[in-house]
Amino acid sequence: MAGHAPSPHKPRRKAKRTADLQSNLSIVESSSSSGRVVPSFPLAAFFWPARGSVSQWEILPLVLMVVGLFRWAAGLWGYSGFEKPPIFGDYEAQRHWMEITTQLPVSQWYFHDLQWWGLDYPPLTAYHSWLCGKIGSLIDPSWFALYESRGLHDPTLKIFMRATVLVSEYLIFVPALVVFVRRFSRVNGVTTWSASIALAAILLQPATILIDHVHFQYNTVMLGFVVASMSSMIAERYLWSAVFFVCALGFKQMALYYAFSVFAYLLGSCFSPRINVTRFIAIAAVTAVSFAILILPLVAGTYYDVKRGISPHPDRKGSRVPLPLFEEYVGYLNTDAFYYPYIEQLVQMVHRVFPFARGLFEDKVANFWCALNVVVKIKNYPTELLQRGALIATLASIVPPNLILLIRPKKHLLPLAFATTAWGFFLFSYQVHEKSVLLPLMPMTLLLAGNQGLGKDIRAWVGFANILGCWTMFPLLQRVDLRVPYAVLTLLWAYLLGLPPTSTSAYFQQGSSVFSHWVTAFTHVFFYLAMALWHVLEFFVRPPSDKPDLWVVANVGVGAAGFSLCYLWCLWKLILQSDILPKALGGKERKAKI
Amino acid sequence: MPEIYPTLTQVAIVAAAFKILLFPAYKSTDFEVHRNWLAITQSLPLWDWYYEKTSEWTLDYPPFFAYFEWIMSQVAKLVDPAMLRVYNLGYDSWETVYFQRFTVIITELLLVYALQLYVDSSHGPSKRAAHAAAISILLSPGLLMIDHIHFQYNGCMYGILILSLVLARKKSTLLWSGYVFAALLCMKHIYLYLAPAYFVFLLRAYCLSPKSIFRIQFLNCLKLGSGIAAIFGTAFGPFALKGQIPQIMSRLFPFSRGLCHAYWAPNVWAMYSFVDRVLIMVAPRVGLPIKSEALQSVTRGLVGDTAFAVLPDISPRVCFALTLLFQAIPLAKLFMQPTWDTFIGAVTLCGYASFLFGWHVHEKAILLVIIPFSLIALRDRRYLGAFRPLAVAGHVSLFPLLFTPAEFPIKTVYTIFWLILFLMAFDRLAPASSQPRFFLFDRFSTLYITVSIPLILYCSLLHGIIFGKSYEFLPLMFTSSYSAIGVVGSWVGFLVVYFTSSA
Repeated sequence: MAGHAPSPHKPRRKAKRTADLQSNLSIVESSSSSGRVVPSFPLAAFFWPARGSVSQWEILPLVLMVVGLFRWAAGLWGYSGFEKPPIFGDYEAQRHWMEITTQLPVSQWYFHDLQWWGLDYPPLTAYHSWLCGKIGSLIDPSWFALYESRGLHDPTLKIFMRATVLVSEYLIFVPALVVFVRRFSRVNGVTTWSASIALAAILLQPATILIDHVHFQYNTVMLGFVVASMSSMIAERYLWSAVFFVCALGFKQMALYYAFSVFAYLLGSCFSPRINVTRFIAIAAVTAVSFAILILPLVAGTYYDVKRGISPHPDRKGSRVPLPLFEEYVGYLNTDAFYYPYIEQLVQMVHRVFPFARGLFEDKVANFWCALNVVVKIKNYPTELLQRGALIATLASIVPPNLILLIRPKKHLLPLAFATTAWGFFLFSYQVHEKSVLLPLMPMTLLLAGNQGLGKDIRAWVGFANILGCWTMFPLLQRVDLRVPYAVLTLLWAYLLGLPPTSTSAYFQQGSSVFSHWVTAFTHVFFYLAMALWHVLEFFVRPPSDKPDLWVVANVGVGAAGFSLCYLWCLWKLILQSDILPKALGGKERKAKI
Repeated sequence: MPEIYPTLTQVAIVAAAFKILLFPAYKSTDFEVHRNWLAITQSLPLWDWYYEKTSEWTLDYPPFFAYFEWIMSQVAKLVDPAMLRVYNLGYDSWETVYFQRFTVIITELLLVYALQLYVDSSHGPSKRAAHAAAISILLSPGLLMIDHIHFQYNGCMYGILILSLVLARKKSTLLWSGYVFAALLCMKHIYLYLAPAYFVFLLRAYCLSPKSIFRIQFLNCLKLGSGIAAIFGTAFGPFALKGQIPQIMSRLFPFSRGLCHAYWAPNVWAMYSFVDRVLIMVAPRVGLPIKSEALQSVTRGLVGDTAFAVLPDISPRVCFALTLLFQAIPLAKLFMQPTWDTFIGAVTLCGYASFLFGWHVHEKAILLVIIPFSLIALRDRRYLGAFRPLAVAGHVSLFPLLFTPAEFPIKTVYTIFWLILFLMAFDRLAPASSQPRFFLFDRFSTLYITVSIPLILYCSLLHGIIFGKSYEFLPLMFTSSYSAIGVVGSWVGFLVVYFTSSA
């Protein structure tokens, strides 16, 4: 919108502009009627006046303001568990953690009344909750009063909570993403203009806004640390990469979805192009130290409480509470030794964070197991077998991408490898929640900042994954009356990127009719039609009384099939781009790229 | 003609998405006002519309607006009939909110259409500038705050105004411009403030021969006169038959209200009251007499008689005279030089005069100045120089309209976004002026814009921290005095530009 004026003061800009046009070919296309170049999707049109002549430091603040406005406006809607007693929802969980971390001694955090949203995230989340709770208590202490504040839905508290999500995101995710997009686009030789468009597209990703700013959670903090970690890998700052990844894990255990890729890349970078033992040792040491620092406040708090004679479980005076895990090793431990409280604390933390005792999947989630459950009643099989099956399937799906990354630790492969691995975890692993789809979506969406990222092929697939992802979360959002923000944010994003249901232009390649494009177009159109049909049915038709979950199950089935395609596409792209195939096979793609 | 990106449609779609997300935002009593009007027009016979007073928010817009509400109520019937009951005061089911908010977005399409006509009517190098100006109006923070949060139908109204202004650009559609404006007057009478400019322009450019002012074009006069009479007849005729005109007039022009509106619109009277407040502290030392009964009124900011403690009181007559005087001065030039650019300038200056000197002016009326001005702000750099402080002052002065914490980030961030984007874009697009720039005016405006940052910070954050709930009038007074300086400054600057620029 900032106008592009033929400015007489700066004649050098002209030359740059033509150069830019050459390299922006994925975003512009020549109009058939006039022969002039036109933007090929609306988001590019919004950046059109800024082509070449405007510095990205002028665009960036504007982009950040716009995406911030959309986030805040979306936050005006309800949140998960709003006025839904008896236990409310995610919002109450986060608020409750602020309550217990600010009101209770550290050693009781992981033990306090576990039935009411007991803390089950790693320590960094606890520290973050403590900080937010402290700030909030300055404004109104009643928001986090112990016991009394449960289920509170004060409108001012809602504004405060929304603000904590936004501020946390702008302090961690946004800067990490801005830096990542700069570095990654430079590695791929993408112009800053396209990179700005990609940045806006990534920041407007509907799934993250819907889950974090509407439904309520702090996923972007964890995702931000992961992006920072990837960004450090691109900058070849491997130690920082390890530190950031420990932070991500320390904030939300879900970051384990990426752990294999991080490990594979960091290990790979120690071996290729030449073996670098010092780097290996340094990474290992820094990782260990980061973990130690991460749990230090917890340990120190426990030490302080032991000194003061405060028990972690004051409700069970006298009797020793057995360790929740590792019962077989308890015999080796002296429960009266000085170290026992710390062991107990850490074991309890691990136990809370990794609930091994729960089922294969909780709710209806669009992954392989839940889809399989429609055909075979999985719950009839022994848990042992299911756990082993999940483990084997997950390993089988994540070994190929990580093996490639280990052999070829190339910077431009990072988002693809991360996305493939996360898709593998999402589809096959244990204890998946529908919100976990954010994890594969994030690195996959980062592809927009890469080579040909805004070209039709990648845009079509990234868009497909995102829209399908939002669609599988619809049952979750609809439960708390969030249909309107769901529809607005998803359709807006689809519109801006020129994707179905608003446009089919991403499927018509100019002057090329390669077979694979047609396959892509047909499968995608099939899925989009299925999604649209599902919405119509869900809105107008009641499911039969003997199958009340019919629509949800249909959603899961379509979602799982579509996500499997996304996994396969990411894997295929990864194989092609890593140049790991013999020339005869991979030759065609490389020619097409040049 | 190659398309300029982003197109108005693209901008309108993204803006509409944002506006839908704002559905649950704060809404003022104007929401209930319009719900009540839906109910009145739907459930009562025409003859009772202007007499109904179950709700304190009686119908006080001209008949076309009532007809407009009646049309919408036909759809409202299908959405939620409960909102159409007159006694259902303060009813706001989610269907009602969705419906009413949605009508604002839909009727705003008229604005998009009018702006598209405006862009299409500009040619050559100025087309790009016209496009930027059109987008700036479409995204105006004023319209966003007033229509989509506070709740009103200004987008539609200003769409009609711009349509009329654009029609005046071509000789062949001049007549229609007059008709459309007459219809607009029958929807919302606040546009009477701009009527003098229309009168002079249509008189000179349509009713009198371009060659000599003494040759009257009788056929044109007849067409214009009969058309306008027909429009007013359609609007007021049914009521006139029943002798209800005096009742309607008493609803439309409630002169019993005070000089300053509750929120202190940033005009000359706000500065006058500010000076009066300062004089209260100074007067005892200088020996000026203080009227003790006046001490309590302005600080309370109630809608009612504003009494001044030291300075002489202002009567509606004085306001009226001053407004007419400052409207007449630019109109003289318009009469001599009836071009479209001068016409828009004159409309803008009429808006300025009535905003600055009018009786009981609401701060929302600043749009009467900003929107016509936007159409010519990019003519050259001198116009832009006068526009800049107005853009800042006018929008900052609207901030007190929204006082809830949830809307605070929206109004501030959106306005700052708009100001950065468009002041930057306008700066690139406005061509250099053929005349020398006004001495130091742009320095003044830069300084002025910088001051806005600490001011907003103080009024929205620091004041609450320092004083809590006491002295609530202070931020309001600072905001309106600050904005008043900007509006008056830009008015003086624009007067100079207007009178010194050739056609």
